[in-house]
Amino acid sequence: MQNFKNKVYHYETPPPEEIWDRIEEELQNQKILNLHAHRKSKFLFYGATAAASVVIIFVGSLFFKKNKQTDSTANVQTKHELLAKKIEDSINLNQKILESIIHNPNEKKEIISKNLSQNANKKYLTVANPEGQPVKISPKVATLIISADHEFPPKPVWNKKIDKWQKIMLASTISPTSVNFIDLIQLAANNENIE
Amino acid sequence: MTAPGNHIPSESDLIKGCIDGDAQMQRLLYQRFSAMMYAVCLRYSENTDDANDVLQEGFIKVYKSLSKFRREGSFEGWVRRIFINTSIEHYRKKVKLYNVTEVQENTIEDDNLDALDSLATKDIMNLINELSPGYKQVFNMHVIEGYSHKEIADVLGITEGTSKSQLARAKGVLKKIIETRVENSKKSR
Repeated sequence: MQNFKNKVYHYETPPPEEIWDRIEEELQNQKILNLHAHRKSKFLFYGATAAASVVIIFVGSLFFKKNKQTDSTANVQTKHELLAKKIEDSINLNQKILESIIHNPNEKKEIISKNLSQNANKKYLTVANPEGQPVKISPKVATLIISADHEFPPKPVWNKKIDKWQKIMLASTISPTSVNFIDLIQLAANNENIE
Repeated sequence: MTAPGNHIPSESDLIKGCIDGDAQMQRLLYQRFSAMMYAVCLRYSENTDDANDVLQEGFIKVYKSLSKFRREGSFEGWVRRIFINTSIEHYRKKVKLYNVTEVQENTIEDDNLDALDSLATKDIMNLINELSPGYKQVFNMHVIEGYSHKEIADVLGITEGTSKSQLARAKGVLKKIIETRVENSKKSR
């Protein structure tokens, strides 16, 4: 029994020639298929990468746009805040100057300052120009005129202008006699009160 | 490693070359195992056309599965198993084995098959091929390949009892065929 088992187990017989040709053809086809699959997977990989990149760029742009909007809003807000602060500082400075003038022992200045402080809420002050005509000036200009003689804050341009104006005033015969504009302001304030 | 002098690649080189898709190595592997595996295919198949198909299918499976070979057993045994399984799969597409009521196992003693020893291998092959497909499968797996009935039951999807019954019937049929041949040869003398 063992003899025939071994004989059958180890029996060999050559297959027809065409079998290898068929196998070879199938292997080639599978290689091509694998290549196609590889290319397909490569294409899918690059496609997926490109799609992912587009999505990332899109989401990123949305994110940055949002941030930019927030930033621009913040910038505008900051600018407004700065402007408001500047205005506030300017007002405070004016107020400080006015206060310093008010506390000045000079009686005239006190009166003018008082007038100024009374008219602080008004938009314009009426003063007389070198020709004696009434001219409306803003409280800020008035403050500048008052503080022209002061060193702080330094106003070289305004000082020159005011100095020039003073000289014209002094030379004029019809203008009110004054050494500085404070008299003019006082006069204007008085005129306004009379009116 | 290639053996020095004769340029016959070693088993490892063959396996590696086939995994890498080397056409020459694939051909060498085919040359080394095709005759042996074709004999297996012929034993399990109904006819030569089916055997040819199984041989082709089996080699494609071998090339595809080489990376899974763990080198735990013999390579030839691993290849043979692939061909047996492929033959069975191929056969299953055509015929379905049904579980049958268990019969007395081994009703035909192996001694009765001793007559086969005196026959030429080709004649034995022809005798085996005269068995019905169901009997042939179990006979080949158990008697020639040495599978246990449990293994056969697992592979064929039948019970162990059915495997044993099929084997007993296969042996009975073989015995009858041998007896008829012997009688015929006596008569011819």
